[in-house]
Amino acid sequence: MKSDKFLEELTMTLRTTLAATAAASALTVAGAAYADGHGPMRIGITQNNVGVDSYQTTYEKAFIAAAEANENVEVVVLDAGGDVARQIAQMEDLIQQEVDAIIIWPTNGEAVIPAVRKAHSAGIPVVVTNSNIAEAGFEFVATFSGPDNITQGSRSAEIMCDRFKALGIENEARVVQISGQPGYTTAIERQQGFDDRLPEVCPNVTLVETQPGDWNREKSQQVMEAFLVKYDDIDGVYAGDDNMGVGALNAALAADRAEGITFVGATNFAVGYEAMERGEYWGSIYQSPVDDAEAALQSAIDLINGEELPFLNYFDTPKITQDNMTEFTKPVF
Amino acid sequence: MASMSKADIGRILARQGILIAFAVFIIGFTLANERFLSPDNVMGVIRSSAILGVMALGVTFVVISGNLDLSVGSMMSFSTIVVLDLHDKIGPALAIPAMFAMTLCLGAFIGFLVGYLKLNSLIVTLGMLSAIHGLTLTYSGGQNMDIVDKEGTWFGVFGQGSALGIPVPILIFVALAALLGIVLAKTPFGRKVYAVGGNGTAATFSGIKRARVVFLCYVMSAFCVATAGLIQASRSLGSQNTVGQGLELDVLAAVILGGASLLGGSGTIFKTVIGVLILGFIQNGLLLVGLQFYVQFVVTWVIIILAVWLDIAAKRGKLWSNIA
Repeated sequence: MKSDKFLEELTMTLRTTLAATAAASALTVAGAAYADGHGPMRIGITQNNVGVDSYQTTYEKAFIAAAEANENVEVVVLDAGGDVARQIAQMEDLIQQEVDAIIIWPTNGEAVIPAVRKAHSAGIPVVVTNSNIAEAGFEFVATFSGPDNITQGSRSAEIMCDRFKALGIENEARVVQISGQPGYTTAIERQQGFDDRLPEVCPNVTLVETQPGDWNREKSQQVMEAFLVKYDDIDGVYAGDDNMGVGALNAALAADRAEGITFVGATNFAVGYEAMERGEYWGSIYQSPVDDAEAALQSAIDLINGEELPFLNYFDTPKITQDNMTEFTKPVF
Repeated sequence: MASMSKADIGRILARQGILIAFAVFIIGFTLANERFLSPDNVMGVIRSSAILGVMALGVTFVVISGNLDLSVGSMMSFSTIVVLDLHDKIGPALAIPAMFAMTLCLGAFIGFLVGYLKLNSLIVTLGMLSAIHGLTLTYSGGQNMDIVDKEGTWFGVFGQGSALGIPVPILIFVALAALLGIVLAKTPFGRKVYAVGGNGTAATFSGIKRARVVFLCYVMSAFCVATAGLIQASRSLGSQNTVGQGLELDVLAAVILGGASLLGGSGTIFKTVIGVLILGFIQNGLLLVGLQFYVQFVVTWVIIILAVWLDIAAKRGKLWSNIA
């Protein structure tokens, strides 16, 4: 019992310390000029967990840069550090500050709904960015700005199928899939998009097995090792992101079987891009955190200007393969 | 040996319940998929398990001394990220000792808090779990680390190389297991670790410097973690900064599965190795059987419980007992 108390205190102390750090790093980027006698639009953002990965780090930088470039916009940039309770508190702060719009990158799709509803009742439009909240909260959300994971999955299927046609194996190819963390919306939707689209474009290709790689390179390498033992004939590997795709590629390289396998991923990472440059990895889906951040900010600005936006306001995530990769800059993450 | 009676055989079997469980699973998975025991697969599983295994060796010392170490997962992320970052800055020959020194400092710090200040190891290492994660994120600025010139470095040898047809991670794991097995079973220090974990007060009155023993256990654990980080970094020549996340529980599961008592005072390196292999082969076996992955979580749990039960049943000589 005593140690439970200690644990609680310890957790609290850690939280307070983290919160203080986050508060110190919260930024207000002020626009230089006023537009037409109105004050600048004030937009608040509460992010999921900046610093935990390169995508989120780049997103924040791009968001601040885009805001600084627009003199009519003033932004309050907050980071929840992955903590739902802190994100709810930050939502309340932004409501108190009477910002003109709030952008939220949900730490948890369910738990933030009451806070989103509160903003909605206060008349502040809410933009959900990157990953959507649960359906129960949709009525309080003005627009969702982010990637369309189902389309990403179907596009990966198309990339895979096109490649098989080019190689002339579209009637016998066998594919294995390494999906993201079980239970995550992004993982489920990408898998769904891939599973549905592949038989439409390449009806004779067999998807022999799907196993999760948990967004983890090492785990995916182990899964692929098992696939290589189990199946003598694998022509294609679809991975839910490039980190896992490269893990699978490493397993195939170690087993000397990478040559005949077409690797397709999603969310093009720098490691995936480099493997494409080396000719070992075929293609992916290009998802830029810069586009993601700019789209979210633009959605908020459009809402404040009274424009009608579709509820699902996707930004484009194009196909990237060894053939067209020179049109894209290497991802920074 | 020839005069070994039935009772002797029974006694030996009883002490190796976990080995029996291990054999049962191996036979089961082999029947389900004949490739399970193919040399490639067995080698692959042991190589994959080596990282977890090396970490479990160190944690075995900590657990036998009556303490816990929940920080090994984030500490492994830390060493992996540090050695990858330093590789491109000061070269592999300097990066490796620098990373070991930094990781050993973390271990010494924990050892100081638990050993000399007598703070509860659960709280200290649970706190270090987040603190070291924060340290890694700060160090890396949230970025993934990748070695730029992957072809032009010899750094890959620890994770990808092989000697005499055996992958280097396995060689490291086996060598370290043999070394630490001897330290634990045959040296005065090893006996002190058991004494401190079995009855700390009695150990102190017998003139054992308890604080020092605990301190050294954590330093050894950190050494093992640094070795695991080295293998991890070398295997993929790049890493996410959350690479070790959650491993602390797998490590602990392997150690406990091997029969070490969470209360301290019992366990062996050999049994920890078996625990590690059971976890590794279960994971691989379920993949080869092709079970749907939501089911795998449940089946993994059932198999672990079965293993523990078989172990206990073998010790008391029957499957079920009224007393303990």
